[in-house]
Amino acid sequence: MSVAARSDLEVKLAGRAEYGADLELPGMLWGALVPSPVAHGKIRHVDLGGARALPGVVAVGADDLATLLPRGQGDAERPIFPADEVAYRNQPLAAVAAPTLAEARRAAAAVRVDIEPLPALVDLESEFPDWPGPDAARSPHIITHVHARHGDLEEAFRTADHVVEETYRTSSVHHVALEPHACVASVVGDRWTVRTTTQTPFGIREDLSLLLGVPEASVVVEGTWVGGGFGGKGASLLEPYALLLSRAAGRPVRLALDYRQEFELGRTTLPAVIRLATAVKAGRIVGRRVRLLLDTGSSLPGRDWSTGYSIGFLLGPYTTAAFEVEGYGVRTNKPAFGPHRAPFAPQCAFAVESHLGEVARVAGIDPVRFRADHLWRDGDTTPMGQAVGPFGLGAALAAATAVADRWRAEAPADHGVGIGLGFWSTGTGAGGEARLVLTPTELRVEQGEREIGSGSVQRGLVAVAERALGLPPERIRVDYLSTADAPFDSGVFGSRTVGALGRAVVEAATALRADLAARSGVAARDVSLAVEAGEIVCRSPNGRRTVRSLLTAEEASRGIVASGRHFAKSNTIDERRVVAGSFYPFTDFTGAAHVAEVSVDRETGAVRVERYAAFQDIGTVVDPATARGQVEGGIAMGLGIALTEEALWSDDGRLLNPHLLDYRIPTLGEVPAPEVTFVEGFPGAGPFGAKGLGEPPIIPVPATVAAAVRDACGAHVTELPLSAERVARTLKLL
Amino acid sequence: MTPPPGPLRVNGRPADLTGMPDSERLLDTLRWRLALKGTKEGCRTGDCGACTVLVDGRSTLSCLTLTREVDGSDVTTIDGAADDAEIARVSRAFAAAGALQCGYCTPGFVVALAGLLKERGSSAPVEELLDGLQGNLCRCTGYAAIVRGVALARAEAP
Repeated sequence: MSVAARSDLEVKLAGRAEYGADLELPGMLWGALVPSPVAHGKIRHVDLGGARALPGVVAVGADDLATLLPRGQGDAERPIFPADEVAYRNQPLAAVAAPTLAEARRAAAAVRVDIEPLPALVDLESEFPDWPGPDAARSPHIITHVHARHGDLEEAFRTADHVVEETYRTSSVHHVALEPHACVASVVGDRWTVRTTTQTPFGIREDLSLLLGVPEASVVVEGTWVGGGFGGKGASLLEPYALLLSRAAGRPVRLALDYRQEFELGRTTLPAVIRLATAVKAGRIVGRRVRLLLDTGSSLPGRDWSTGYSIGFLLGPYTTAAFEVEGYGVRTNKPAFGPHRAPFAPQCAFAVESHLGEVARVAGIDPVRFRADHLWRDGDTTPMGQAVGPFGLGAALAAATAVADRWRAEAPADHGVGIGLGFWSTGTGAGGEARLVLTPTELRVEQGEREIGSGSVQRGLVAVAERALGLPPERIRVDYLSTADAPFDSGVFGSRTVGALGRAVVEAATALRADLAARSGVAARDVSLAVEAGEIVCRSPNGRRTVRSLLTAEEASRGIVASGRHFAKSNTIDERRVVAGSFYPFTDFTGAAHVAEVSVDRETGAVRVERYAAFQDIGTVVDPATARGQVEGGIAMGLGIALTEEALWSDDGRLLNPHLLDYRIPTLGEVPAPEVTFVEGFPGAGPFGAKGLGEPPIIPVPATVAAAVRDACGAHVTELPLSAERVARTLKLL
Repeated sequence: MTPPPGPLRVNGRPADLTGMPDSERLLDTLRWRLALKGTKEGCRTGDCGACTVLVDGRSTLSCLTLTREVDGSDVTTIDGAADDAEIARVSRAFAAAGALQCGYCTPGFVVALAGLLKERGSSAPVEELLDGLQGNLCRCTGYAAIVRGVALARAEAP
């Protein structure tokens, strides 16, 4: 197996990688947004006159959309600038551009905004004090209702030996990609071009087409190097404003967030309240009841995916005879809920793992054995009625348990050791296509994603092509093309790059091999590629020929082209179990078992993670170094969710901690070097049986830390994060 | 009388600061006036370390530094990696250790570590070097590969 270094390291280390925040075009203007001063209110008037009176300033607002957009707004429910009502604080009401950033900011400040404030809904529980009573269902703030059940739940709870009912609360976490959102837009004629830092160039193109009411063929999205995504750069954010400004100015316009805005405008995981009830009889789970109240921010009715998607994670990877899940998505006066690395799954795993640990204690059973006894296995079906398939979580847990036992034996008496589990699935998105271009000296992978840091594109796709065709990695190059030139692909999300786009690469490699075989007059399996004297050669029983000699006259300038596609094959759930709303099937199942050793300060409640180990079901390791990097990085990000990260709002919807000083992410001294072990042999949906890896490693972390904290000091903390204050309160130190 | 400071030098070359306002931050001078975009803009409040440069060899947050404050100094940025032996060595160590993913925090880490090695020498304990990097945030790697890169850079320093 190759351990080739990623080919983007050199350009990044030399400071020559151009990120969205670095973009600059001759003659460009600098843009700025005009933020709403309230979280909810009726717009009386937005007066751009003060801004337009300043020299060199261009300003656009709701009243200008009809003239700037050839067909008017594309999506009436999602106006680019609101005309009537403000939904969250800092919502852009207008945008301005000027020759310098300072002038743009002065112009933004010169816009007069007159808004009649309305009551804001910020704290979920203030609206639903009696939830899950019947009142919640009648609230006008509910935008989603999902409900599923199976089996005789009432009988299970009535006849149980033990029933445990608990409430968990989870907090909102930010992405904190170090590069803020940034783009440069340039509108010429009917061609709307934007260069931007994005995970999903084609997703942005589709979104812009819908918002601006212009055909997709008129929109060109060109990605840049991305300074961290984590889900936060997967939908359009600044691009519509920048394009409108460029259209109005007739010049390119740069628009970027400053870091405070990054916190204030980012669409991410929002708070939730989770109620879990479990019935146990003779040591077995016989019934599970799950209720979820999820803050969906200013998401629109009918457009919220998060409630139905995430609620499945609250059942965990466990069998139960009977269950009921019911969730409500609540519209609040915050930016809309958006994806954050394994959206809401770490929070769900925290709740279900901590809860089942408590259930086991009440039932007098070892918490790890209790969970192991109920884990899904190949051949089981999930509570939603989907077949499980190859699933390595049992093997991962067995290995994790051995490490936990050893650490417990070695650890000082005041340390605690805990185990947490999580599951995920390899996303497919709408699908993807890849093109391989074989030239006399290299193989190019032409595709439409952008590398966001994980290495899944820059190294992952190369490793897949390497394995499929037998060429060395230094002869394989990834080409990043704009949406005008690239084959379609959904983008980087859902841990899908290697799993889905990688399948397209394999299919293209198969087509390429068949093409070469035909030219050589042999069967495809008899063809191999190699490098000899600097040339790529095609070997077959009929001898060896250089690729150069195989090219037709038309191919001489470009090379031999082969295409592959991978579009999702939908799995199924048992729809008879769905009472209301949408639930989604998974592609495959991947599991992770983590172990943490922690110490807890008995005066302050501060938690320190001393040791950490991860056992990751991965199907097949495609590239060891990048795979390890995903697990190490996911663990650190998960430690932030577990211990320190929490967005806080005032009652009137103001974000109280929009800085890195008061929203604390893990620092270099706070993350132990984890032991990382891959569990292979349980194949997934990706090439060579690989499973998606970007998201799974973050999922078990808060649950694992919570279990270790409980083991260390007895504190059963039911809210995230496990800040020193929360642990101290649970221990009654405060 | 102290003589007026000489011109600001960036990566060994005198910088043309004609017409620069006194309030300009070194970060903006580098990125937008001198078009040296290797130094990254993160938080602009001194909390993330992405904008770290060397001023007369000392690790400095360019977002919290007025360019006028460092008049007459030698500023070294990641863009000058080829000409600075310490930065070049740290870069090689980070590449070998795979100590970066998205790469946005990387110039800050590399320059900060190069500054620490210049200041304290390669005999400084690795814990001291890691302590000196606590002000640099990374969201991708979980720091594990960075710690490996630091150990490698220290081992390879003369």
